[in-house]
Amino acid sequence: MRTDDLIAALAADTKPQAPVLRQMALPLSGAVGLSIASFALFWGPRPDIWAALGSPAVLKTLIPLVLVSLAAALALTLAHPGRAAKGRVTALGAVIIPAALVFMAAIVGEGLAGLVSALSTPQLLTCLLSVPLLAAPLLGVALWGLSSGASLRPWLTGAMAGLATGGLAAAIYSVYCDKDMVLFVLPAYGMAIASVTLAGALIGARVLKW
Amino acid sequence: MRAANRGDAAAYRNVLTAITPVLRKVVRARGAALGPEGCEDVLQDVLLAIHSKRHTWAEDAPLRPWLYAIARHKVVDAFRARGRRVELSIDDFTEGLAAGAGPDPTEGRDMEKVLNQLEPRAAEIVRAFGLHGETTAETAARLDMTEGAVRVALHRALKSIARLRERMIE
Repeated sequence: MRTDDLIAALAADTKPQAPVLRQMALPLSGAVGLSIASFALFWGPRPDIWAALGSPAVLKTLIPLVLVSLAAALALTLAHPGRAAKGRVTALGAVIIPAALVFMAAIVGEGLAGLVSALSTPQLLTCLLSVPLLAAPLLGVALWGLSSGASLRPWLTGAMAGLATGGLAAAIYSVYCDKDMVLFVLPAYGMAIASVTLAGALIGARVLKW
Repeated sequence: MRAANRGDAAAYRNVLTAITPVLRKVVRARGAALGPEGCEDVLQDVLLAIHSKRHTWAEDAPLRPWLYAIARHKVVDAFRARGRRVELSIDDFTEGLAAGAGPDPTEGRDMEKVLNQLEPRAAEIVRAFGLHGETTAETAARLDMTEGAVRVALHRALKSIARLRERMIE
Protein backbone atom coordinates (compact mmCIF):
# COMPACT_ATOMS: atom_id res chain seq x y z
CA MET A 1 0.00 0.00 0.00
CA ARG A 2 1.32 3.44 -0.88
CA THR A 3 1.70 6.01 1.84
CA ASP A 4 -0.71 8.41 0.15
CA ASP A 5 -3.33 5.66 0.13
CA LEU A 6 -2.75 5.05 3.82
CA ILE A 7 -3.21 8.77 4.46
CA ALA A 8 -6.49 8.71 2.56
CA ALA A 9 -7.70 5.77 4.67
CA LEU A 10 -6.61 7.45 7.90
CA ALA A 11 -8.26 10.74 6.97
CA ALA A 12 -11.53 8.95 6.26
CA ASP A 13 -11.58 7.65 9.84
CA THR A 14 -13.08 10.72 11.48
CA LYS A 15 -14.57 9.04 14.51
CA PRO A 16 -13.32 11.18 17.40
CA GLN A 17 -11.47 9.46 20.23
CA ALA A 18 -12.23 10.41 23.83
CA PRO A 19 -9.37 11.82 25.91
CA VAL A 20 -7.58 9.31 28.14
CA LEU A 21 -9.04 10.67 31.36
CA ARG A 22 -12.60 10.60 30.07
CA GLN A 23 -12.18 7.03 28.81
CA MET A 24 -11.03 5.79 32.19
CA ALA A 25 -13.14 7.95 34.53
CA LEU A 26 -16.12 5.63 34.76
CA PRO A 27 -14.30 2.27 34.99
CA LEU A 28 -11.91 3.77 37.52
CA SER A 29 -14.68 5.02 39.79
CA GLY A 30 -16.17 1.54 39.51
CA ALA A 31 -12.88 0.03 40.68
CA VAL A 32 -12.67 2.51 43.59
CA GLY A 33 -16.21 1.52 44.53
CA LEU A 34 -15.23 -2.15 44.39
CA SER A 35 -12.20 -1.61 46.63
CA ILE A 36 -14.19 0.40 49.17
CA ALA A 37 -17.03 -2.13 49.16
CA SER A 38 -14.70 -5.09 49.70
CA PHE A 39 -12.95 -3.12 52.43
CA ALA A 40 -16.28 -2.53 54.16
CA LEU A 41 -17.13 -6.23 53.80
CA PHE A 42 -13.86 -7.89 54.80
CA TRP A 43 -11.94 -5.32 56.84
CA GLY A 44 -14.23 -2.65 58.30
CA PRO A 45 -13.15 0.49 60.17
CA ARG A 46 -11.26 0.30 63.48
CA PRO A 47 -13.56 0.74 66.53
CA ASP A 48 -12.15 4.13 67.52
CA ILE A 49 -12.16 5.51 63.98
CA TRP A 50 -13.71 8.87 64.88
CA ALA A 51 -11.21 9.50 67.65
CA ALA A 52 -8.37 8.48 65.34
CA LEU A 53 -9.53 10.84 62.61
CA GLY A 54 -9.40 13.69 65.13
CA SER A 55 -5.82 12.82 66.17
CA PRO A 56 -2.49 13.04 64.31
CA ALA A 57 -3.22 9.46 63.15
CA VAL A 58 -5.36 11.06 60.43
CA LEU A 59 -2.06 11.72 58.62
CA LYS A 60 -1.95 7.98 57.85
CA THR A 61 -4.91 8.62 55.58
CA LEU A 62 -4.15 12.14 54.39
CA ILE A 63 -0.53 11.71 53.30
CA PRO A 64 -1.28 8.72 51.06
CA LEU A 65 -4.15 10.73 49.55
CA VAL A 66 -1.79 13.59 48.72
CA LEU A 67 0.52 11.02 47.17
CA VAL A 68 -2.39 9.69 45.12
CA SER A 69 -3.25 13.04 43.60
CA LEU A 70 0.37 13.86 42.74
CA ALA A 71 1.23 10.44 41.31
CA ALA A 72 -2.01 10.24 39.34
CA ALA A 73 -1.39 13.66 37.81
CA LEU A 74 2.15 12.63 36.91
CA ALA A 75 1.02 9.35 35.36
CA LEU A 76 -1.48 11.23 33.18
CA THR A 77 1.14 13.76 32.16
CA LEU A 78 3.52 10.96 31.19
CA ALA A 79 0.83 9.41 29.00
CA HIS A 80 0.62 12.63 26.96
CA PRO A 81 3.75 13.33 24.91
CA GLY A 82 4.92 16.93 24.88
CA ARG A 83 3.54 17.82 28.30
CA ALA A 84 6.02 19.04 30.89
CA ALA A 85 6.36 16.64 33.80
CA LYS A 86 9.11 18.38 35.75
CA GLY A 87 6.95 20.39 38.15
CA ARG A 88 4.94 17.30 39.02
CA VAL A 89 8.07 15.25 39.71
CA THR A 90 9.27 18.00 42.07
CA ALA A 91 5.93 18.05 43.88
CA LEU A 92 6.08 14.29 44.35
CA GLY A 93 9.61 14.49 45.70
CA ALA A 94 8.44 17.20 48.11
CA VAL A 95 6.14 14.61 49.72
CA ILE A 96 8.34 11.50 49.60
CA ILE A 97 11.61 13.04 50.78
CA PRO A 98 10.20 14.59 54.01
CA ALA A 99 8.50 11.25 54.77
CA ALA A 100 11.85 9.48 54.40
CA LEU A 101 13.53 12.10 56.61
CA VAL A 102 10.91 11.68 59.34
CA PHE A 103 11.51 7.93 59.17
CA MET A 104 15.28 8.41 59.54
CA ALA A 105 14.75 10.77 62.46
CA ALA A 106 12.49 8.23 64.15
CA ILE A 107 15.09 5.49 63.73
CA VAL A 108 17.81 7.74 65.12
CA GLY A 109 15.54 8.61 68.03
CA GLU A 110 14.51 5.09 69.01
CA GLY A 111 17.26 2.98 67.51
CA LEU A 112 17.01 -0.05 65.26
CA ALA A 113 15.72 -2.12 68.16
CA GLY A 114 12.73 0.23 68.30
CA LEU A 115 12.08 -0.37 64.61
CA VAL A 116 12.28 -4.14 65.00
CA SER A 117 9.92 -4.17 67.96
CA ALA A 118 7.50 -1.82 66.18
CA LEU A 119 7.40 -4.12 63.18
CA SER A 120 7.19 -7.35 65.16
CA THR A 121 3.45 -7.59 64.97
CA PRO A 122 1.08 -9.66 62.84
CA GLN A 123 -0.29 -6.32 61.67
CA LEU A 124 2.74 -5.97 59.42
CA LEU A 125 1.76 -8.97 57.33
CA THR A 126 -1.87 -7.83 57.26
CA CYS A 127 -0.77 -4.45 55.98
CA LEU A 128 1.60 -5.88 53.36
CA LEU A 129 -1.11 -8.17 52.02
CA SER A 130 -4.15 -5.93 52.34
CA VAL A 131 -2.81 -2.90 50.51
CA PRO A 132 -1.83 -4.76 47.30
CA LEU A 133 -5.10 -6.68 47.45
CA LEU A 134 -7.16 -3.49 47.68
CA ALA A 135 -4.97 -1.88 45.01
CA ALA A 136 -5.20 -4.71 42.45
CA PRO A 137 -8.51 -3.72 40.77
CA LEU A 138 -7.48 -0.06 40.84
CA LEU A 139 -4.12 -0.76 39.24
CA GLY A 140 -5.65 -2.98 36.60
CA VAL A 141 -8.13 -0.35 35.50
CA ALA A 142 -5.59 2.46 35.71
CA LEU A 143 -3.11 0.63 33.46
CA TRP A 144 -5.86 -0.31 31.03
CA GLY A 145 -6.92 3.35 30.86
CA LEU A 146 -3.39 4.65 30.47
CA SER A 147 -2.72 2.22 27.63
CA SER A 148 -4.91 4.39 25.40
CA GLY A 149 -2.43 7.18 26.06
CA ALA A 150 1.01 7.43 24.52
CA SER A 151 3.58 6.82 27.19
CA LEU A 152 7.16 7.42 26.11
CA ARG A 153 8.46 5.67 29.25
CA PRO A 154 6.02 2.83 29.92
CA TRP A 155 7.70 1.51 33.07
CA LEU A 156 7.75 4.96 34.68
CA THR A 157 4.13 5.66 33.82
CA GLY A 158 3.24 2.21 35.17
CA ALA A 159 5.18 2.91 38.37
CA MET A 160 3.28 6.17 38.88
CA ALA A 161 0.01 4.36 38.30
CA GLY A 162 1.15 1.85 40.94
CA LEU A 163 2.13 4.62 43.34
CA ALA A 164 -1.24 6.33 42.91
CA THR A 165 -3.32 3.17 43.28
CA GLY A 166 -1.11 1.79 46.07
CA GLY A 167 -1.49 5.10 47.89
CA LEU A 168 -5.25 5.02 47.51
CA ALA A 169 -5.36 1.44 48.78
CA ALA A 170 -3.19 2.45 51.75
CA ALA A 171 -5.51 5.36 52.52
CA ILE A 172 -8.48 2.98 52.52
CA TYR A 173 -6.62 0.41 54.61
CA SER A 174 -5.57 3.06 57.16
CA VAL A 175 -9.21 3.27 58.27
CA TYR A 176 -8.87 -0.33 59.53
CA CYS A 177 -5.28 -0.27 60.80
CA ASP A 178 -4.96 0.72 64.48
CA LYS A 179 -1.15 0.97 64.64
CA ASP A 180 -0.28 4.63 64.74
CA MET A 181 3.43 4.72 65.63
CA VAL A 182 5.65 6.40 63.05
CA LEU A 183 8.09 3.47 63.20
CA PHE A 184 5.34 1.10 62.10
CA VAL A 185 3.33 3.24 59.71
CA LEU A 186 6.14 4.65 57.58
CA PRO A 187 8.00 1.40 56.85
CA ALA A 188 4.92 -0.83 56.61
CA TYR A 189 2.87 1.53 54.43
CA GLY A 190 6.00 2.48 52.53
CA MET A 191 6.78 -1.14 51.69
CA ALA A 192 3.18 -1.92 50.81
CA ILE A 193 2.89 1.06 48.48
CA ALA A 194 6.33 0.34 47.04
CA SER A 195 5.31 -3.21 46.16
CA VAL A 196 2.30 -1.91 44.20
CA THR A 197 4.56 0.66 42.54
CA LEU A 198 6.94 -2.11 41.51
CA ALA A 199 4.07 -4.19 40.17
CA GLY A 200 2.86 -1.16 38.21
CA ALA A 201 6.33 -0.61 36.73
CA LEU A 202 6.71 -4.26 35.70
CA ILE A 203 3.24 -4.60 34.21
CA GLY A 204 3.32 -1.10 32.76
CA ALA A 205 6.54 -1.84 30.89
CA ARG A 206 4.57 -4.48 28.97
CA VAL A 207 1.05 -3.13 28.63
CA LEU A 208 1.83 0.55 28.07
CA LYS A 209 4.04 -0.13 25.05
CA TRP A 210 2.69 1.10 21.73
CA MET B 1 -5.16 19.44 13.46
CA ARG B 2 -7.75 21.04 15.69
CA ALA B 3 -10.34 20.80 12.94
CA ALA B 4 -9.06 17.31 12.16
CA ASN B 5 -9.66 16.10 15.70
CA ARG B 6 -13.22 17.37 15.46
CA GLY B 7 -13.86 15.20 12.45
CA ASP B 8 -12.86 17.38 9.49
CA ALA B 9 -11.47 14.75 7.11
CA ALA B 10 -10.11 17.23 4.54
CA ALA B 11 -8.23 19.21 7.19
CA TYR B 12 -6.87 16.01 8.64
CA ARG B 13 -5.71 14.82 5.27
CA ASN B 14 -3.92 18.14 4.76
CA VAL B 15 -2.12 17.78 8.07
CA LEU B 16 -0.98 14.24 7.32
CA THR B 17 0.06 15.14 3.79
CA ALA B 18 2.00 18.15 5.04
CA ILE B 19 3.97 16.29 7.69
CA THR B 20 4.70 13.19 5.62
CA PRO B 21 7.63 14.58 3.55
CA VAL B 22 9.28 15.87 6.74
CA LEU B 23 8.85 12.51 8.44
CA ARG B 24 10.06 10.64 5.36
CA LYS B 25 13.25 12.68 5.35
CA VAL B 26 13.88 11.93 9.03
CA VAL B 27 13.24 8.21 8.57
CA ARG B 28 15.39 7.92 5.45
CA ALA B 29 18.24 9.85 7.06
CA ARG B 30 18.30 7.39 9.92
CA GLY B 31 17.43 4.19 8.16
CA ALA B 32 19.36 4.04 4.93
CA ALA B 33 20.19 0.39 5.72
CA LEU B 34 16.54 -0.57 5.58
CA GLY B 35 16.15 0.41 1.97
CA PRO B 36 13.42 2.67 0.63
CA GLU B 37 10.69 0.08 1.17
CA GLY B 38 11.70 -0.54 4.77
CA CYS B 39 11.81 3.20 5.40
CA GLU B 40 8.35 3.58 3.94
CA ASP B 41 7.11 0.86 6.30
CA VAL B 42 8.54 2.76 9.25
CA LEU B 43 6.96 5.97 7.98
CA GLN B 44 3.60 4.23 7.71
CA ASP B 45 4.03 2.98 11.28
CA VAL B 46 4.59 6.57 12.41
CA LEU B 47 1.49 7.78 10.57
CA LEU B 48 -0.59 5.00 12.11
CA ALA B 49 0.73 5.93 15.56
CA ILE B 50 -0.13 9.59 15.03
CA HIS B 51 -3.60 8.51 14.00
CA SER B 52 -4.25 6.12 16.86
CA LYS B 53 -2.81 8.48 19.52
CA ARG B 54 -4.31 11.71 18.19
CA HIS B 55 -6.48 12.16 21.30
CA THR B 56 -3.37 12.54 23.48
CA TRP B 57 -2.74 15.93 21.91
CA ALA B 58 -4.57 18.67 23.83
CA GLU B 59 -6.02 21.40 21.65
CA ASP B 60 -4.39 24.16 23.67
CA ALA B 61 -0.94 22.57 23.50
CA PRO B 62 1.56 23.28 20.72
CA LEU B 63 1.33 20.62 18.02
CA ARG B 64 4.97 20.34 17.04
CA PRO B 65 6.45 18.95 20.30
CA TRP B 66 3.67 16.39 20.46
CA LEU B 67 4.14 15.34 16.87
CA TYR B 68 7.91 15.03 17.20
CA ALA B 69 7.63 13.08 20.44
CA ILE B 70 5.30 10.55 18.81
CA ALA B 71 7.43 10.33 15.67
CA ARG B 72 10.73 9.98 17.52
CA HIS B 73 9.35 7.27 19.78
CA LYS B 74 7.93 5.31 16.87
CA VAL B 75 10.99 5.68 14.67
CA VAL B 76 13.35 4.52 17.43
CA ASP B 77 10.99 1.67 18.23
CA ALA B 78 10.68 0.57 14.63
CA PHE B 79 14.41 0.64 13.96
CA ARG B 80 15.16 -1.26 17.13
CA ALA B 81 12.65 -3.93 16.21
CA ARG B 82 13.69 -4.17 12.57
CA GLY B 83 17.36 -4.07 13.42
CA ARG B 84 17.07 -7.50 14.96
CA ARG B 85 15.40 -8.91 11.89
CA VAL B 86 17.96 -9.82 9.29
CA GLU B 87 17.28 -7.82 6.18
CA LEU B 88 18.33 -10.10 3.36
CA SER B 89 16.45 -9.73 0.17
CA ILE B 90 16.88 -11.56 -3.07
CA ASP B 91 18.47 -8.39 -4.48
CA ASP B 92 21.53 -9.00 -2.38
CA PHE B 93 22.24 -12.12 -4.39
CA THR B 94 21.24 -10.96 -7.82
CA GLU B 95 23.07 -7.68 -7.66
CA GLY B 96 23.20 -6.03 -11.00
CA LEU B 97 20.47 -8.21 -12.38
CA ALA B 98 17.66 -6.10 -11.02
CA ALA B 99 16.31 -4.12 -13.90
CA GLY B 100 13.05 -2.56 -14.90
CA ALA B 101 11.27 0.47 -13.58
CA GLY B 102 11.70 -0.51 -9.93
CA PRO B 103 9.02 -0.31 -7.33
CA ASP B 104 7.24 2.86 -6.34
CA PRO B 105 9.40 4.37 -3.59
CA THR B 106 6.36 5.27 -1.51
CA GLU B 107 5.09 1.71 -1.55
CA GLY B 108 5.38 -0.13 1.78
CA ARG B 109 5.56 -3.91 2.09
CA ASP B 110 4.18 -4.52 5.57
CA MET B 111 0.78 -3.03 4.88
CA GLU B 112 -0.23 -5.69 2.35
CA LYS B 113 0.73 -8.47 4.75
CA VAL B 114 -1.33 -6.88 7.49
CA LEU B 115 -4.31 -6.24 5.23
CA ASN B 116 -4.29 -9.90 4.24
CA GLN B 117 -4.56 -10.88 7.89
CA LEU B 118 -7.65 -8.72 8.39
CA GLU B 119 -11.17 -9.88 7.93
CA PRO B 120 -11.83 -9.57 4.15
CA ARG B 121 -14.54 -6.96 4.51
CA ALA B 122 -12.41 -4.80 6.83
CA ALA B 123 -9.49 -4.97 4.41
CA GLU B 124 -11.86 -4.16 1.56
CA ILE B 125 -13.02 -1.00 3.34
CA VAL B 126 -9.47 0.18 4.06
CA ARG B 127 -8.54 -0.43 0.42
CA ALA B 128 -11.68 1.34 -0.75
CA PHE B 129 -10.67 4.55 0.99
CA GLY B 130 -6.97 4.21 0.37
CA LEU B 131 -6.41 2.77 -3.07
CA HIS B 132 -9.68 3.68 -4.73
CA GLY B 133 -10.28 6.99 -2.96
CA GLU B 134 -13.94 6.23 -2.42
CA THR B 135 -16.14 8.34 -0.20
CA THR B 136 -18.05 6.92 2.71
CA ALA B 137 -21.29 7.07 0.72
CA GLU B 138 -19.81 5.18 -2.26
CA THR B 139 -18.35 2.43 -0.10
CA ALA B 140 -21.59 2.15 1.81
CA ALA B 141 -23.59 1.79 -1.36
CA ARG B 142 -21.21 -0.74 -2.91
CA LEU B 143 -20.98 -2.94 0.18
CA ASP B 144 -24.64 -2.51 1.05
CA MET B 145 -23.90 -1.04 4.47
CA THR B 146 -25.04 2.15 6.17
CA GLU B 147 -22.58 5.04 6.20
CA GLY B 148 -22.35 4.83 9.97
CA ALA B 149 -21.44 1.14 9.78
CA VAL B 150 -18.73 1.88 7.20
CA ARG B 151 -17.27 4.54 9.50
CA VAL B 152 -17.25 2.19 12.47
CA ALA B 153 -15.78 -0.63 10.39
CA LEU B 154 -13.00 1.61 9.08
CA HIS B 155 -12.25 2.83 12.58
CA ARG B 156 -12.01 -0.73 13.89
CA ALA B 157 -9.98 -1.92 10.90
CA LEU B 158 -7.38 0.82 11.41
CA LYS B 159 -7.17 -0.09 15.08
CA SER B 160 -6.53 -3.74 14.23
CA ILE B 161 -3.97 -2.74 11.64
CA ALA B 162 -2.06 -0.73 14.23
CA ARG B 163 -2.21 -3.69 16.61
CA LEU B 164 -1.13 -6.24 14.01
CA ARG B 165 1.79 -4.16 12.86
CA GLU B 166 2.83 -3.77 16.45
CA ARG B 167 2.91 -7.55 16.82
CA MET B 168 4.70 -7.94 13.53
CA ILE B 169 7.73 -5.91 14.52
CA GLU B 170 8.04 -7.42 17.95
